[in-house]
Amino acid sequence: MKALLLSPELFLHEGGIARIMRLYLKALCELAGPAGRVDALVLNDHPGHDGRLPRYTNAQFGEMAGCSRRKLRFIREAIRLGQRAEVLVCGHLHQLAVARLAQVLNPRLRYYLVAHGIEVWRPFSLLERRALLGARRILCISEYTRRQLLRFCPALPPERLVIVPNTLDPHFSPTLNNRISAAPFATPRILTVTRLSSADTYKGVDTLIEAMPLVRREFPLARLRIVGQGDDRPRLEALVQRLGVGFAVDFTGPLSDEALRAEYAACDLFALPSRKEGFGLVYLEAMIYGKACLGARAGGTPEVITAATGQLVEYGNIPDLAAAVADLVRHPRDSEVVRRHADTFAFPAFTRRLAADLA
Amino acid sequence: MCGIAGLISLRHDLPAREDAVNRMVRRQQHRGPDDRGIHSDGPATLGMCRLAIIDPANGHQPMTSPDGRFTLVFNGAIYNYRALRIELALSGWDFHTHCDTEVLLAAYALHGAACLSRLRGMFAFAIWDAREQRLFAARDPLGIKPLYYARLPDSGLLLASELNALLASGVVTREIDPTSVGEYLAWFSVPAPRTIYRGLANLPPGHQLTVDAAGRVETGPWWHLPAPTRPDIAANYHDFVGGLRAQLDESVRAHRVADVPVGAFLSGGMDSTAIVGLMARGGAAKLKTFSLIFGEAGFSEQDSARLAAQTFGTEHHEELITGARVAADLPRLLAAFDQPTGDGINTYYASQTARRGGVTVALSGLGGDELFGGYPSFRDLPRLHRLLPLWRRLPGGMRRAIVEQLRARPTVRARKLADFLTHARDLHELASLQRRVLPETVRLSLLAPEARAQAERLGPNHPRLEDFAFELPGADPFQIISAWELRTYMADVLLRDSDVFSMAHSLELRVPFVDRPLLEWLWPQRPWFKYDPRRPKHALADATADLVPAAIRNRRKQGFALPFAHWMLAELRPFLDETFSTASLGACPWLQAAEVQQVWTDYKTRRDTRAWSRVWTLAVLIAFANRRPAP
Repeated sequence: MKALLLSPELFLHEGGIARIMRLYLKALCELAGPAGRVDALVLNDHPGHDGRLPRYTNAQFGEMAGCSRRKLRFIREAIRLGQRAEVLVCGHLHQLAVARLAQVLNPRLRYYLVAHGIEVWRPFSLLERRALLGARRILCISEYTRRQLLRFCPALPPERLVIVPNTLDPHFSPTLNNRISAAPFATPRILTVTRLSSADTYKGVDTLIEAMPLVRREFPLARLRIVGQGDDRPRLEALVQRLGVGFAVDFTGPLSDEALRAEYAACDLFALPSRKEGFGLVYLEAMIYGKACLGARAGGTPEVITAATGQLVEYGNIPDLAAAVADLVRHPRDSEVVRRHADTFAFPAFTRRLAADLA
Repeated sequence: MCGIAGLISLRHDLPAREDAVNRMVRRQQHRGPDDRGIHSDGPATLGMCRLAIIDPANGHQPMTSPDGRFTLVFNGAIYNYRALRIELALSGWDFHTHCDTEVLLAAYALHGAACLSRLRGMFAFAIWDAREQRLFAARDPLGIKPLYYARLPDSGLLLASELNALLASGVVTREIDPTSVGEYLAWFSVPAPRTIYRGLANLPPGHQLTVDAAGRVETGPWWHLPAPTRPDIAANYHDFVGGLRAQLDESVRAHRVADVPVGAFLSGGMDSTAIVGLMARGGAAKLKTFSLIFGEAGFSEQDSARLAAQTFGTEHHEELITGARVAADLPRLLAAFDQPTGDGINTYYASQTARRGGVTVALSGLGGDELFGGYPSFRDLPRLHRLLPLWRRLPGGMRRAIVEQLRARPTVRARKLADFLTHARDLHELASLQRRVLPETVRLSLLAPEARAQAERLGPNHPRLEDFAFELPGADPFQIISAWELRTYMADVLLRDSDVFSMAHSLELRVPFVDRPLLEWLWPQRPWFKYDPRRPKHALADATADLVPAAIRNRRKQGFALPFAHWMLAELRPFLDETFSTASLGACPWLQAAEVQQVWTDYKTRRDTRAWSRVWTLAVLIAFANRRPAP
């Protein structure tokens, strides 16, 4: 198989889409076969190889073209690399029109879209609709995303929308020396990991902070660790001060992979009560550490968090959220069951699913 | 029709459980004055009070299967019970009564949850499986009969037909939920599964609930709206009208099954006249019909109702409703609510009139507007939907300026349009937003900070937007709007109010248009058969053209409304002045008192008399918060 991967980012920033698209790159390389070749074209990344690239590639990997956000160059490269490809996997709806253009110039090319979440839960422009209708398949990360796509583009044949849930990076699995964290002693220690962007207030970090006074009424040593950075941080810090819970909430800022692993290992439960998660890769990351997860009954989250692995609450319902934290502390989930659940989303299963859908 | 109650709990011992269930049953006595009973097994106690309609001499509940395994409490009526009884008897069930309750018990015992798809009727029931130590409960597809519940901290469950009963159990606390207040101000009612009280839930229509031996509670839908298309639809309009008439005849025939007197509400509009016509054609002996009339010009449909009664030869009863009477009855009306509602007082009086007129069951034309496109939304929303792509193409700055201009205008219409343009992305969101009572900016201004923050988080759209949108892939615009009207205003307001206010007078209200077989037949038919914007409800008119007088068929739609706008400035004014007083608003910490008082002041100074429903909705909420709990 000769494949081309289009992605907004792979290594420039640590976002959810970048992480999952690296795994698409890895899976494509494994599926390419001895005579195959996989190229990657990335809009935002800079030219040149990132040190992590070898983790996600093998001998079948050909060219890595970073475009430093230059869109014209991205289009030109897509046309060039598309000429020799049979399969194009597009990592974002915004780039699908380019995939369609590449197909027009190379009619043998089949293109696929990875539909993550919020970017496809909306009405589409004419250009986007045409590009969607031309896709061989749309790889939806959850049933929820699939239904949203059908809602906003009813002309899509439902059988073309298949579900390929996100997967865990094999390099992220726990190791013994992860079990160290600089965080002070706390019970329970609640961890959340997300981008703190003012465009993403739906993530529910503010609701977690608002629940802390209630949580601490029952667990005076409870502590909330917020991992991530973004322009919404000042607002959240002000909220912490207003509620007088500064001594119970830590903003760690962005962390290295190693430090993040330590946070997962040290926490008692993971919480991201978000209203609009397409899937919620961070839940899986916490689960692989055997940690129970708390999410909102919204978006794709209920497809990841089950009763055996955590608890779902109504988005924005502060008393519900505090009660769920208390319940997860009093009735901890069996960490082995939680890990086994995460294993069902392991990379080999993801690769098999992708192989079937690209066939 | 009955009231049911239950408590499943390992934490409560038998006397405590029975005491709680007895309290709940007593609190619902008006729903079923004819009989009551209670049954306990293991951690479960079920209770009920019965309004005897079918086989009144038998049918005591809770009803237990002969082997002692299943015990049922059931609120509602199964109209096809006779046909099911024959099938179940052939399968080996030995019937001891001629009651629909025993048919439901047998159907569940033999087929489990699969029996639900065979039931034609209105129902909310709970069945305890003593062998599996498991509770199963379900509610009819469109939400005619209610079922409320609360999960208990020890993994148990409390359930009842009314919220007042749950509160009377003494097991849960009475605390108004600020989030629900925000929802109420948006929708005229609190949409299921939420209720006005924190921790108490409303099982949504077409949903089932199970509690297993470990106390785990699960809920989920057992029924969905049909697929948008089917191969066996009518080939032409003539066949469609013939088929529709057959379906209507069958539905009305099914809904008349009873061993007590059956009458009908007759407002004089198209829907109720069609129902009465079909009943009269179906061979009802001297049918009793009931209308409300008003002294105020422009509200009574007295002439149409009389014409219909005369045409069908019914024994027609009219009841004059005045502002003074409503004012005098307000304490009783407010006591009948189990959560606030901005609607339903007409049903209270119509039910009272019917019960006093000597019937125990009455049929109503509720549901006709939702099924046959009687609301302006069927005409307006598709037009607005076609404009949305053009709107989105305008530059962002221009769109923002237009929205700001609309929001600055004093009319609700302009602000509602601003909501559409800001928040609606497709027809589902338009249909969701069009049922809002208050524009978003006004709603938020009335809420205190905590409730406002929560309302902002949840946004202006209906809380079940995605459930409803996902239920209808590939649906046409008529189906989408019809589904929204059925799933929101009809289920959360009309049907809920109908249940509460008819039960307040121990009257069983039946709704032949809200009938699953009729809906499943009608749903996939071609949209242009069902709806013509120039002649709303033409399909119903044509299917009953031989029954409904032309004067009624050709009349413009008039809602079943009361002259509240006038009464609120006259007879109801003292009540409203007191309700909007600072002392009264003290019981509403989730409202911004000054803003709320301004709404009433604006109304009194007649700056916007069309706002009566919004003022009344607020007043009912405040009065509800000030209500003393019943003993």
